[in-house]
Amino acid sequence: MLTDLFHIVIFPGFLFLCASGMTAEYIDRKLYARLQNRMGPPWFQPFADFMKLVSKEDIVPDEANPSMFRAMPIFALTASITAIFYIPLWHVNALYHFNGDLIVTIYLLTIPTLTYFLGGWYSTSLYSKIGAVRSLTQLFAYEVPLLMCILAPALLANTWSLSEMAAFYTNHKWYWAFNMIGFVVSIIALLGKLEKVPFDIPEAETEIVAGTFTEYSGRLLAIFRLSLNIEAITGASLIAAVYLPFGLELPTAAGFAVYLAKLLFIIAIMSLSRTVFARFRMDQMVEFCWKYVSPFAFLQILICLIIKGVWVR
Amino acid sequence: MPPEKGLKMRKVVIPIGPQHPALKEPESFNVTLSGERIMAFSARLGYNHRGIEKACEERTYVQDVYLVERICGICSHTHSTSFTQAVEELAALDVPKRALYIRVIIGELERIHSHLLWLGIAGHEVGFDTLLMYSWRDREVVMDILAELTGNRVNYGINVIGGVKRDLEGHHIKDISKAVDTLEERTKYYIDIATKETTLIQRLSGVGKLPHEDALSLGATGPTARASNVARDIRQDDPYAVYSELGFRIVTDNHNDVYGRTLVRLGELMETYRLIRAAVNNLPEGPIAVKAPRKIPEGEVFSRYEAPRGENVHYIKSNGTDKPERVKVRAPTLANVQTVARMLEDEQLADLPIVIAAIDPCFSCTDRMITVKDPDDSNPRGIIKWDDIRSYSIGLYRSRGVDFSLLNKKLAEKLKC
Amino acid sequence: MTREEEIMQGLIKKFPAMEGKIRVRRARRLTAETDQAGFEEIFAYAQKMLGFTSLCTITGLDEGQTLGLIYHITRTDGIVLNLKFSVPKDKPVIKSMIKYFPISDIYEREIADLLGVQVEGLPEGNRYPLPEDWPRDEYPLRKDWKPKSVFTSTARSNAAGEGVKDA
Repeated sequence: MLTDLFHIVIFPGFLFLCASGMTAEYIDRKLYARLQNRMGPPWFQPFADFMKLVSKEDIVPDEANPSMFRAMPIFALTASITAIFYIPLWHVNALYHFNGDLIVTIYLLTIPTLTYFLGGWYSTSLYSKIGAVRSLTQLFAYEVPLLMCILAPALLANTWSLSEMAAFYTNHKWYWAFNMIGFVVSIIALLGKLEKVPFDIPEAETEIVAGTFTEYSGRLLAIFRLSLNIEAITGASLIAAVYLPFGLELPTAAGFAVYLAKLLFIIAIMSLSRTVFARFRMDQMVEFCWKYVSPFAFLQILICLIIKGVWVR
Repeated sequence: MPPEKGLKMRKVVIPIGPQHPALKEPESFNVTLSGERIMAFSARLGYNHRGIEKACEERTYVQDVYLVERICGICSHTHSTSFTQAVEELAALDVPKRALYIRVIIGELERIHSHLLWLGIAGHEVGFDTLLMYSWRDREVVMDILAELTGNRVNYGINVIGGVKRDLEGHHIKDISKAVDTLEERTKYYIDIATKETTLIQRLSGVGKLPHEDALSLGATGPTARASNVARDIRQDDPYAVYSELGFRIVTDNHNDVYGRTLVRLGELMETYRLIRAAVNNLPEGPIAVKAPRKIPEGEVFSRYEAPRGENVHYIKSNGTDKPERVKVRAPTLANVQTVARMLEDEQLADLPIVIAAIDPCFSCTDRMITVKDPDDSNPRGIIKWDDIRSYSIGLYRSRGVDFSLLNKKLAEKLKC
Repeated sequence: MTREEEIMQGLIKKFPAMEGKIRVRRARRLTAETDQAGFEEIFAYAQKMLGFTSLCTITGLDEGQTLGLIYHITRTDGIVLNLKFSVPKDKPVIKSMIKYFPISDIYEREIADLLGVQVEGLPEGNRYPLPEDWPRDEYPLRKDWKPKSVFTSTARSNAAGEGVKDA
């Protein structure tokens, strides 16, 4: 009971995720700045931003639905924290696991996007509404390739549990190398999920101010931003667990170091893409996802099915 | 076709401005949207009307030079040059060649500064912030040169009626050539990016179409017109200063869209470097100004100038006194803003910022921010605090014989009384 | 004969009344004066036949008893024709030139706002450049107008009604 509480509140739950989420934001911002020839923020900037927002007044627009408006950030935060418990981080076994936790994790990671939609829709501002509709449109574009390409390694491992998948890839070394197409596809999908350039269409500031978050301020905005940071960590952890399942059998300290290295790698890739791309337009994004990304995800499934038929067993 | 077309959304009117992150100056656009598609567009201008034309009538010509310079923060030299050359024509002054060359050099440096600024804005509007950071970093090079030549980064104040105020010296010319070399190399890199980077091309091409005929009939000017293959440039059509001696090529493009406007501006940058080199190399010796009369003879004159954004015109009517009877200014943006409605027909909301930005609407940038590197590097982050800058500048001016401490004391005593 | 003189002769040949009212100021600058009745014909002729294909701007002048209007039209070779006519100040009504140059819309709004010229044939639209709550009978560019406080609190609050609207 006490250990469960420890897991949920401190490690690898809320506190750890807050700290790593903010560190990830710092690394992302610093890398982004250095790549653009700027100084970048000091290490405590994300924390300072958070504290500043928390100390400010929450303003709920008169026409917004107050309960929905206030509830959505909490939902987003809860969902992105909960997802971490089913992902094997630096050990073969996740904290909690059952057959089917893969699907649960993916859906927990979808909830934040739905809260962006609902939060934006219920703030009733025009910019928020357009941002909300855009984030939902975008969800339909990247969610299918993401689901398909996460399905492929699971097919190969013949299980619906992330922990059992990790065990399979630990026993069958180098099999993860077959899933590299899926890795690229899921990074693209994660960029869409986190609404980062080139997929930051729902919060394109030059068109719709801040999209969903236009009306949010103070604590509620702080929680939304925190949940985005934590979602980045959970998403990156999921990708690391599914596509880079090596080093899991190492002793705890070494395994933890390998885990952090994987996270850092994924975050660096995302910062890099943020630097070199311009923002897509909605139609271009949807077209790109359906025309190019989905077929690649499908190809990944085919590869896994063929390998499964030929080699495994 | 875009899948979100099936998305049924009630028609909404979304206000862009007067205050909006996409606009750097107050203007108001009302955009009617159906889903993501723009159905109607209306503009409301005039939020920045400061009554400068009226104010000019109540001030002397000398004061007006500085007043019209403040019409715009970016193309300030544009306005002061077209004003002074109009007054010089009225007073039949024979402006020295050297002064005209210096005006051209400053004017072309200003064009570089304006086009690099535009490039950054364009990058920002399509969410490509890296381009913004890079081109604004390079813009610093030309701003530093302008500060060195004139003392100011914007609103240079170099024009006086009858010539210019400051001369170019040997070391200035060396610095200009060095800066132009650096910038030319960087501009080549941007041209490379603009012609190869796929996401950028996808966002820019086919957006904000302005066919050749429409550009003519709507009276577009400057790069907006030249990107629709209208070879119109006041520097060549109606040469002022010494442009007829320098010779240059009008850069045009037939893409008719935002991408074409980007290429035209980048091409113009390369042409501008050539112009500056030619002007610096042929700089004649001689005086830099002639004395101008205080009272300007009666008459009227129409002065045109090719600003970075297009044709800038000044009409001045004098009544024989030291104050003008009427000063009329038409900035290029006013001519181009009409084309925006045409460009936005059947476009998407996502393209609205870049289409508006593509005509390069003029906005003031009066902020002066400084980062001073610590000379002895005892400070690892290389940034000096505000107080240190202040005491440094007081010390610097004291060493040059300017001391404000006495004045400050007097002021403090006065305030006490 | 220079191009400027050619244009001048062409105009005088077509409109003999222009004799003596049209002058070449310097290279590429022509000034012509006409009366209000004959203006539109000359304007249209200059656009269609003489190659003045763009309208630079319209300048409004306060000349005491009359308001002067100068249409600056240009050719692609840099020649500018400043075509001027005057209207009485107590009945300043002019016709819109929108059918010749669509761009004249904004210039006509400008002189309407700043000098109080009434423009016939101008489509409905926003004011330019003065704010919506600016009094309708205050024309800042007229010589007898002096800066003063024209804003009252009611005028301000009336203007605050603009904003977000659903269509």
